[in-house]
Amino acid sequence: MRVGLFVTCLVNLMRPRIGEAALRLLAAAGVEVQVPEEQSCCGQPNYNGGDLNAARMLARKLLRDFDDCDYIVVPSGSCASTIRTHYPQLFTDTADHNSIASLATRTRELTEFLVDVAGFDTPPGRFDGSVTYHDSCSGLRELGIQHQPRTLLTRLPGARLVEMAQAEQCCGFGGAFAVKYGELSTHIADAKCRDIAATGADAISAGDLGCLLNIEGRLRRRGDHKTQVLHIAELLAGAEATWK
Amino acid sequence: MEVTSMRFVRQAHASLTNPGLQHALGRLQAKFVSARADAIAELDDFEATRRAATAVRARVIAGLDEWLERFEAAVRANGGEVHWAVDAQAAQRELVAIARRHGVRKVAKSKSMATEECAINEALAAAGIDVIETDLGEYILQLANERPSHIVAPVVHKNKEEVADLFADRHQRARQTDIAALCREAREMLRPQFLSADMGLSGANFLVAETGSALIVTNEGNGRLVTTLPRVHVVLVGIEKVVPTLEDAALLLRLLPRSATGQSITNYVSVLTGPRRSGDPDGPEHFHVILVDNGRSRLLGDELEPMLRCIRCGACMNHCPVYQAIGGHPYGWVYPGPMGSVLTPSLVGLADTLDLPNASTLCGACSVVCPVSIPLPDLLRTLRTRQWQQRLRSRRERLALTLWAFVAHHPRLYRFATAVLARVLRVFGGRRGLIRWLPLGRGWLQGRDLPAPQSRTFLELYRKQQSP
Amino acid sequence: MSDRDVIFERLRAGLLRRRPGADLAPTDWSAPRSSGELTARFRQQATRLASAVVGPFAAVAAPAAIAEYLNHERLPRTAVCWPALADRDWAMAGLRVEARAATATDLVGITGAFCAIAETGTLMLLSGPETPATVSLLPETHIAVVPVAHIVATMEDGWTRLRAHSTMPRAVNFVSGPSRTADIEQTVTLGAHGPYRVLIVLTTD
Repeated sequence: MRVGLFVTCLVNLMRPRIGEAALRLLAAAGVEVQVPEEQSCCGQPNYNGGDLNAARMLARKLLRDFDDCDYIVVPSGSCASTIRTHYPQLFTDTADHNSIASLATRTRELTEFLVDVAGFDTPPGRFDGSVTYHDSCSGLRELGIQHQPRTLLTRLPGARLVEMAQAEQCCGFGGAFAVKYGELSTHIADAKCRDIAATGADAISAGDLGCLLNIEGRLRRRGDHKTQVLHIAELLAGAEATWK
Repeated sequence: MEVTSMRFVRQAHASLTNPGLQHALGRLQAKFVSARADAIAELDDFEATRRAATAVRARVIAGLDEWLERFEAAVRANGGEVHWAVDAQAAQRELVAIARRHGVRKVAKSKSMATEECAINEALAAAGIDVIETDLGEYILQLANERPSHIVAPVVHKNKEEVADLFADRHQRARQTDIAALCREAREMLRPQFLSADMGLSGANFLVAETGSALIVTNEGNGRLVTTLPRVHVVLVGIEKVVPTLEDAALLLRLLPRSATGQSITNYVSVLTGPRRSGDPDGPEHFHVILVDNGRSRLLGDELEPMLRCIRCGACMNHCPVYQAIGGHPYGWVYPGPMGSVLTPSLVGLADTLDLPNASTLCGACSVVCPVSIPLPDLLRTLRTRQWQQRLRSRRERLALTLWAFVAHHPRLYRFATAVLARVLRVFGGRRGLIRWLPLGRGWLQGRDLPAPQSRTFLELYRKQQSP
Repeated sequence: MSDRDVIFERLRAGLLRRRPGADLAPTDWSAPRSSGELTARFRQQATRLASAVVGPFAAVAAPAAIAEYLNHERLPRTAVCWPALADRDWAMAGLRVEARAATATDLVGITGAFCAIAETGTLMLLSGPETPATVSLLPETHIAVVPVAHIVATMEDGWTRLRAHSTMPRAVNFVSGPSRTADIEQTVTLGAHGPYRVLIVLTTD
């Protein structure tokens, strides 16, 4: 089984240790992974912005970059869903439709892949404390990802899962929305931070870095420098980033 | 109603900084969301019911011209009249003409979004005809000269103290403080109006094609009063509200109240078929239906066509994080929330409504609850695509997205640019690794920090790992 | 061209643009079969919606049950009723009942019901010469005398009965409890423009 890791532009830029953690997890699951170096962005900002031609251009590039993979694994629900749910919609009635549709069916979010495909349930990390989990919208509503991260979390040594109220409620990130409608976005993020605080959890985790940057950014501005904000990959893989 | 959607951001700011409104919205969210969940859970099979309801609405739209013809024929067969209005102005003309024909001087009105859309109250007032809103929420808005902020709960933005003040001022009576007393006062003030009105004006939740009936749901009883007591009844309604049969209406009624307020059924469901029959001791002598297009027909055969399925339940907005934060006013027209963000640009035009499709995280909570399966996030994205194609968005945004796509499409440039950006952002993050200021970063940074990156990109680090 | 012509032209143009097969497949759906006995379900649902439900008694006992209710609620023993109910022995129970449409000053209205829907605790009332709509609408108290044989499972069943019985009357009113509003602070208040209270008297015949 040839598995390609699509790290996503946000992870590549803002938190490479998530990519590192994803590789560690996949290795622990006995999966050989390649990382096509030409990869960049799935085109979600352009797609959601209404720039469909640019989105198609980037989709075709991704198709080329991951051409020979049986699976494309993505540590982001929204990027995985862009590929799986939305790429086919971009290419209906075109010559590329079949290959894009095939790419879509081969794409999985990270926890989805680990649990549903690799049957993996022994995360190598450790976290001594309580963790609350935020369900990122695209992963939840477009890909149905909900039990997979929780399955893995409950198998993480030392970790205690505590659910927040309205875990399914949007955190207010929404990509460009967070920048274009900053006041509104912050207000929604604030409600999410209140729900997190109410759990008293030591850490909050999610599968999308966009959500996590938004939540962490608001937590810190609210004066909370204690609650750890960790991508599910980091939490499950454990240990600090080793690459320097 | 006048469009103020172009002032969305300013209006949203006003909502976000209004503590009374924020408190009221929080209360509404708690009630409507959990009430809907409970009511839906009582259904044997919500998904099957929803599929069937979606199919009914889709079937109508697929043959909208025929269903409207059947409806018109059935209304006429019962002694009613059907009028057609291409737009709001035409609707106003038709209504005023009907009022003049019947010597109407006072109209008692039950709640109707379509009448808001067509600025009916203003048109009647201009023609020297009194209009009284009888739905309690709408009545309060009329007294206060304000706009509704929600499809189903129009005065969610007002608390009881504000209502008490308003009544004390307008009714010239002692100020009541108890909600029940306020409601009784409204009842007493409005009862004589029902009895003396010449015309009852209502909307319709559904029109039944096979029988030529207008179906109206209310909880207060005002819907029944305005359609029973005055000698003329006029239904003003959008052309897409027709359903084929009485059974189809029953099916949709299984979902409408549950989705809207969490009730298994509204207090009153009135199915009105024409004027009074010979021998009937009550009921209007004249029954008119004004069918309004106002841009709806343009959605047929368009990517936005699914929007025509909407039954105006309000579930989408009740579950929308943006609507929950700001309420209805900022959307700037009759229809707020996710459905309003699709319908307003569709009926009013893209140019004046640029923010509406963009002020959404596309979280999808709306489409999860829509009883007729409207893919609202997809429709919002379609509107964004049209804005892009018509070059309606800001130059800065176009430049940013185009530049990003260019960089992302060229791997070496991408690796270089992101490596530079990572280092620059790291510097801005300072000792604490938290960015508090960035050029062009105000949108994010006004209310949040931005965690600084690691100073090397993943692709840089990976490459280094591969070749030590 | 009239407005009607313009609208239909646009509709037809739009329908021509539609992709074939864009419609959803017809679904196999039927109204829910009610679980449990109809009368019990009706009583349960109607009570939830703040109707008072008594009986079932024999129909001749209905006037007495109504008199008792009016006493208990400290309401006058005067009412209007559907002409269809004029033949009941109201006087025997000490009630003064006039068989006519209601006016603004009538406080109690007594009706029957074409049928009653168990799924939601709803009364289905048809307007007509013998069954004026105002009797269930204008007075503050609405009392309905409903034989249990009139209870059906769903609204769809109600339509089936109506189709078998007659043509559409001017008004079919489905009534589910006292009128209410929650417009002020989302607080449900009973008694808006319609009746404040509803009593349903179930009868065995």
